[in-house]
Amino acid sequence: MRNSMKVAKWEYKRNITNKSFLISLALTPLLFILFATLPTLLAGMDSEDDPVTVYIEDEVGVTSQIEQLNQRNEMNWNIEGAPSDEEAMMERLEGTENTAYIPVTESALQEGDIPVYTSKGMSDGFSQEIRMLQQPLQSMKLQQLDLTEQEMDVITNGVTLNSVSVEDTGGAPEQQSEGNQQVAEDPMEGVVPGAFAGIILFSILMTGMMIFQSASQEKKEKVAEIVLSSLTPGELMQGKIIGYFGLGLTQVFVWAAVALPIAVWRLDDIPVIEYLFVPELLLLILIAVAGYLLFAAMFVGFGATVEDVNSSSNFQGLVLMLPFLPFIFIGPILADPNGIAAVVGSYIPVTAPGVLLIRLSLLETWPWTEIVVSLGILLVSVWLFMKLAGKIFKVGILMYGKNATPAEIWKWLRA
Amino acid sequence: MSKAILSVSKLGKHFKSERVVQNISFDVHKGEVMAILGPNGAGKSTTIRSIMGIMYQDEGDVIFHNHDNQTIPRHKIGYLPEERGLYKNVKVMDILLYFAELKDYPSKKARQRVLHYLAKFDLEGKENTSVEALSKGMAQKVQFIGAITHEPELLILDEPFSGLDPVSQEVFKREIQELADGGTAILLSSHQMNLVEELCDRLFMMHKGKEVISGALADVKAQYANFKCTIYGENDRAVLEQLPQVQRVEQDAHSLVIHLVQDVHITRWLQNIPEELDIQELSIDRVSLHEIFVDVATGNHSDQLEGVDHA
Repeated sequence: MRNSMKVAKWEYKRNITNKSFLISLALTPLLFILFATLPTLLAGMDSEDDPVTVYIEDEVGVTSQIEQLNQRNEMNWNIEGAPSDEEAMMERLEGTENTAYIPVTESALQEGDIPVYTSKGMSDGFSQEIRMLQQPLQSMKLQQLDLTEQEMDVITNGVTLNSVSVEDTGGAPEQQSEGNQQVAEDPMEGVVPGAFAGIILFSILMTGMMIFQSASQEKKEKVAEIVLSSLTPGELMQGKIIGYFGLGLTQVFVWAAVALPIAVWRLDDIPVIEYLFVPELLLLILIAVAGYLLFAAMFVGFGATVEDVNSSSNFQGLVLMLPFLPFIFIGPILADPNGIAAVVGSYIPVTAPGVLLIRLSLLETWPWTEIVVSLGILLVSVWLFMKLAGKIFKVGILMYGKNATPAEIWKWLRA
Repeated sequence: MSKAILSVSKLGKHFKSERVVQNISFDVHKGEVMAILGPNGAGKSTTIRSIMGIMYQDEGDVIFHNHDNQTIPRHKIGYLPEERGLYKNVKVMDILLYFAELKDYPSKKARQRVLHYLAKFDLEGKENTSVEALSKGMAQKVQFIGAITHEPELLILDEPFSGLDPVSQEVFKREIQELADGGTAILLSSHQMNLVEELCDRLFMMHKGKEVISGALADVKAQYANFKCTIYGENDRAVLEQLPQVQRVEQDAHSLVIHLVQDVHITRWLQNIPEELDIQELSIDRVSLHEIFVDVATGNHSDQLEGVDHA
């Protein structure tokens, strides 16, 4: 183990000072910032249009409410009172741009049909913005009916329909209200830790692919035999896996250090930090780490069979594609996180980490039996794959001059 | 005799059905240079890899005498493999310190020794150079330094001279001799017979996986390297073949080489040379290690062994 740590330290140090690694380390959060801020920047450019001048002929006293609405929603309206001369207003509209005229008269309110006259060249956004006036106007209208407070409540509350499955309520009637509440809760609560674990998995997988290269390079540069005079192939392999795990984690920390503050700032209606640091996160991270170990074992084993990465257009290249298999399941899982595809995906070792992470992010109630079975399969596979990778690595790393064929690899596995 | 550091006994290894090494036994002693010689494919590297535990032998034992446990004392061995290289995108000092660290050698001491050897090998100031920027010969020197930084008690060098220019060969040769004088046990394999002949105390020659000749260099030469007499001039081969104690005569354009039997007395034999011979030049010397090696490699050493039979 001590020898493995020496290798791990070396691999870590060698890569962390490597220019291309540093560039990708810095560039990814920059891209993240770009994607997070660019849409709002562009949207901001749009809203910097000239303000819309809105003339309101107010017979019912709704102007103050509309002004509040304007401020609260940053609608960029310039609200002005209008004389009751409708025809003069219409004429004025014809000669201007970005101007609207809303006659809120008693009679129009009674009829429930209030016209909005606009000049030429109004933005599309405006027709959406005026819908917001519906609510204050409607309550204005209701007030005129002189209802009691209770009657008002009944009317304004309306009716909502929530579907609650029997499983979720746990059967007992007292829990029904609780189940009800859960559905109403923010779906982001599950997604935030899931997404975080997903980033960890993604990041360490990306660095995991560097293991493939590293093993292949060890062989190509013929350092393996010198290094193996000091330690065993198993220690060398372990050291590589640990070293690149460290690199992946460094990447996650750097990204998180940049992304978290931005996420908290951008998504101010979601308490990201509160949602992130929940006990469930530990399980999700465990899944991500198991996923890393599984793929790392495969990469290090097959990397040792390839001398020239460029010529690995054969089946070793396919190994690099395996981590992307869960994408096949994304459609069915989104459609039904407890469906047959989702369950099958959780039981196949190479797709289990990705599929589990997606499912657990979506599901309110976790299918514990499935999680335990899936984790069991995953951990046994990690152990098995490490063993097999060790066998391939041991022979492969010392075979010079050519890439190993599937037949040769099969022979080493059976040895 | 000095103490044995390493003993190999009855080593055997086969790949599939082919036996690449069989019944190989030898010792390496403290402070001596032991050479494994043999043509390509003789099984030298397989033997060395078995000693290093990089390959597992099918038969026989490898014993490190200073260490009781069964495992190879890796941090006490320095190894320069035949297939060797360096990580490309790192500094010379970094990679050498890494190799030393793998051997559990203290880093401060390692740094001093690396600087010492870089200077000795004419690489002063190269410690912060990237490995990529080194020439092949320089890289080989760095690999050699990597094998000796941690003061190994046993140094195994597989073809250390291959690819080196004569000047660098001299540097390596001197250093190997110095290490041996300092008490390091050295096992080296090589094709460069002249260098081996100058360096080694004992040798072990193998062919097709088997031992052919072994022993102290002087003994081997006495036993196998018979005298030969080379004469430049126009002479009749048949006449020379009639001389006593002649094993065989080889002829080329301008000279004849008379191979003599082993127990020949040179001054007495010289008196047998006929007066009428045309002698432009005459020399008497022993068959070189190189010639023994070529004979072994071409499977032509039976004559030599005949010579032994006469003895």
